Amino acid sequence: MEITGSYLFHGDQQSVWNILMNPDAIASAIPGVKELVPLENEAHAWRAEAKIGFSAISGTYGGFIHMSEINAPTSYRLDVKGEGQQSLINGHAVMTLLFLPDTHQTQVTWVAEAAISGKIARIGQRVIKAAASFLSRKFFNGLAQQLNPAAVLEDDSAPDGPIP
Amino acid sequence: MTTRIFGSGIKRREDPRLITGRATYSDDIRLPGMLHMVVVRSELAHARLVKVDTSRAAALPGVVAVFTGHDVAMNTPCAWLIPDSGLKVPPHPVLATDRVRYVGDGIAIVLAETRYLAEDAAGAIHVEYEELPAVVNPEEATRDGAPQLFDDVPHNIAFRWIMNPNPEGLKQAFDSADLVIKERIVQQRLLPTAMEPRACAAQWNAGTQELTIWVTSQNPHIHRFILSGMTGVPEHKLRIIAPEVGGGFGSKIPVYPDEALAGWAAMQLNRPVRWSETRSENYITTIHGRDHVEYVEMALKNDGTVLALKGTVYAGMGAYISTAGPGIPTILHGLMYSGAYNIAHVYCESIGALTNTTPTDAYRGAGRPEATFLVERLMEKAANALNMDPVAFRRKNLLPKFENHTVATGLIYDSGDYEPALQKALAAVDYDSFRREQAAAREQGRYLGIGVTTYTEICGLGPSQVAGAIGFQGGLWESAIIRVSPAGKVQALMGISPHGQGEETTFAQLISEELGFPVEDIEIVHGDTNMTPMGWGTYGSRTTPVAGAALVKAARKMKEKAKAMAAHLLEAAVEDIDYDDGKFFVKGSPDKFKSIQEITLMATLAWSLPPGMDPGMEESQFYDPPNFVYPFGTHIAIVEVDPQTGQVTLKRYVAVDDCGPQINPLIVSGQIHGGIVQGVAQALFEGVVYDDHGQLLTGSMMDYTLPRADMFPTFELDHTVTPSPHHPIGIKGVGETGTIASTPTVYNAVMDALRPFNLDDIPMPLTPARVWAAIHGHSNGH
Repeated sequence: MEITGSYLFHGDQQSVWNILMNPDAIASAIPGVKELVPLENEAHAWRAEAKIGFSAISGTYGGFIHMSEINAPTSYRLDVKGEGQQSLINGHAVMTLLFLPDTHQTQVTWVAEAAISGKIARIGQRVIKAAASFLSRKFFNGLAQQLNPAAVLEDDSAPDGPIP
Repeated sequence: MTTRIFGSGIKRREDPRLITGRATYSDDIRLPGMLHMVVVRSELAHARLVKVDTSRAAALPGVVAVFTGHDVAMNTPCAWLIPDSGLKVPPHPVLATDRVRYVGDGIAIVLAETRYLAEDAAGAIHVEYEELPAVVNPEEATRDGAPQLFDDVPHNIAFRWIMNPNPEGLKQAFDSADLVIKERIVQQRLLPTAMEPRACAAQWNAGTQELTIWVTSQNPHIHRFILSGMTGVPEHKLRIIAPEVGGGFGSKIPVYPDEALAGWAAMQLNRPVRWSETRSENYITTIHGRDHVEYVEMALKNDGTVLALKGTVYAGMGAYISTAGPGIPTILHGLMYSGAYNIAHVYCESIGALTNTTPTDAYRGAGRPEATFLVERLMEKAANALNMDPVAFRRKNLLPKFENHTVATGLIYDSGDYEPALQKALAAVDYDSFRREQAAAREQGRYLGIGVTTYTEICGLGPSQVAGAIGFQGGLWESAIIRVSPAGKVQALMGISPHGQGEETTFAQLISEELGFPVEDIEIVHGDTNMTPMGWGTYGSRTTPVAGAALVKAARKMKEKAKAMAAHLLEAAVEDIDYDDGKFFVKGSPDKFKSIQEITLMATLAWSLPPGMDPGMEESQFYDPPNFVYPFGTHIAIVEVDPQTGQVTLKRYVAVDDCGPQINPLIVSGQIHGGIVQGVAQALFEGVVYDDHGQLLTGSMMDYTLPRADMFPTFELDHTVTPSPHHPIGIKGVGETGTIASTPTVYNAVMDALRPFNLDDIPMPLTPARVWAAIHGHSNGH
């Protein structure tokens, strides 16, 4: 399944890049994340545990995140492996940054490919794209808050809590 | 006055308890100390098991045991071994040890004090997989380079069955044809979706060494036969009880790993064990139906004579061969290629392909809906190609009235008189004026269509000798014991076990008709192997034709005894005794009678019996049918298609069925109603979707469309009565006719509505999106 999207930050490309590379910032922005622990023997790799509230597939998920193909301050690749609730999630995403000088904004675009198995595939497929876009907007809004609390560009009016 | 209890549409006696929550299902069984079992299932469709780590789960409080495939060595067998087909049945372990082959394949079981603890512990089991490529389409599975499920099943071909009774004639027919119609038909996978999911409970008695398993089964005696082999508990120490069973549609014929595991775990732990599946578990582990890719051809003369019919079928078997799986796309499919028509030559090649999907088996109609669909679709296309009216074209090829007619497949149809049913159905819709209405509507941009199916089907399975010849690993006879208490209350102990078909009512009617006991004094006992005589189960529309015949035979035998006893009591000769409505009397003196209850009491007391008569009132009989039965009829659907949205509206549905004499017309109607709904649902609504990796995407009722009452008009039912010549009371089965006839009827009606668009066939189900895409020239994802 392909999931694509983009997000506009108010700020220059280097600051946006810096925050995207900051594990603490990321950890506090990922919705439901409980832990993001760097792996000892591997750079740009973390073990994560997240709690997701999402109708029938609510629960705790564990997994690994690995960052590669880092081409500062323009692009990088993210590999995610997760499991929980009788489901497996395998995915990767390429994130690209583009500075828009006219508005002094930086656009982050992602193209992700996810292979979803088990219970989520059976009963969550229908809502997965909507959920992914909801969760990623929450994530980027969280980062934007940290970057510049006064200038969060995108609307965060979507209600918190489980997606029906 | 004689009460005509036979033919009376009395209400189902079992319904009050079934619909007021007072019935006991397998999931209602509660025993002291009962453990809850949860099965950990594969999340991937095809993978090597690298590691199954149960340590965290086993350490959780409340968890009594965790077992994997290394702890239990049982295989789930196949019981329909089609001869001369090269059938390979690869081992189907109850829990996988090294490799999983479909999403849902069992990996481990957890036994815990509560269901919640068991589910949590199941979630704590970590499975490490090495994913392998998967294949889900049965045709693709047989191609070079396709992922292989088993090393010793090359090309994933589990069997190749060929029916070719007259190769020379077939070739000649195609060579001499004026026209050959070809089509590729996909019989999409369907989910049986019984209202009650599967469940079981198991109890081991260490003292007597007896194992009792309550299970959602359509055939408890077959369950005992197979589970005895799996668990090693001998049959006389193994008791299977199918209490109330809430529907099955074929999905509760097979023996699944789950009930064997529950029984085994109860023995290991010496504690009762229960298991019930969730609905989404039901959708991945309970068998699916259909799943064919078919290449079919019909040879014709320009005058509309059908010369021959040929089909090559890739039948998806799933990842393992289910209990009756191989019999469905072969015997129950190819042998019906003659349909209701005079087709001189037929050919069927059926290739059973293993795929990384849930196993398939019998689903209502089982092979016959697929056969009827392809015959009727080809008939419709042929009529269109020849520019003939589809009804006139069918009439030209329909079998004339017959008894014991041998068709090209070799079957001997027992009886048929197809024209009256066709006439009744055509009259009901006023066919000719509908065609005028249809033409007028098209002028206004409205698209009406009509579909007419003249069908017959094989059911009432069947002669045991035939069962043996076709590799069915069982008999197909039935048995009944009628036992009358001193006060004249009746228990009929049946080997058969209905699961919603209403036989507690119809069987009581049969006894009442023969012996005069009131229906309310008759109890039909079934579903418990310790209480009932042997029987082979409810499927193939056989319960009433086969078990009903055994029951009637027993009742008639009892009537002879009652007559002899009456003669003794009335001091008359047996030949002079007459019977009417439960009363035995000397001919001409109906007022001086002995009732069946009085006779029973005197026979049971046995103070004075005629010479040679045994005491008591109990009779036992077996019935092995000499032939199958072949119900038939005509179904007509009228639909309207909205070209703007692709929405199909079913406006009218007329069904004229002939199942011989009807014991209870209300129950017959109920069977036909349900059958039509399921068949129409295949044409319009239902379809399993797997992604390329073998993940089931239609895994819940939110994702899989089931038919609902508001999708249907009121059905218009009628019937004709053509008795079966070989049956004691002339009856034929009716449990599957609705499903068999309705799919092509509605499909052909939609394609008839769309004829002005000159479209290729649209794959089922005919959802608005597919119909709209076809009308507007977009790819339809065939």
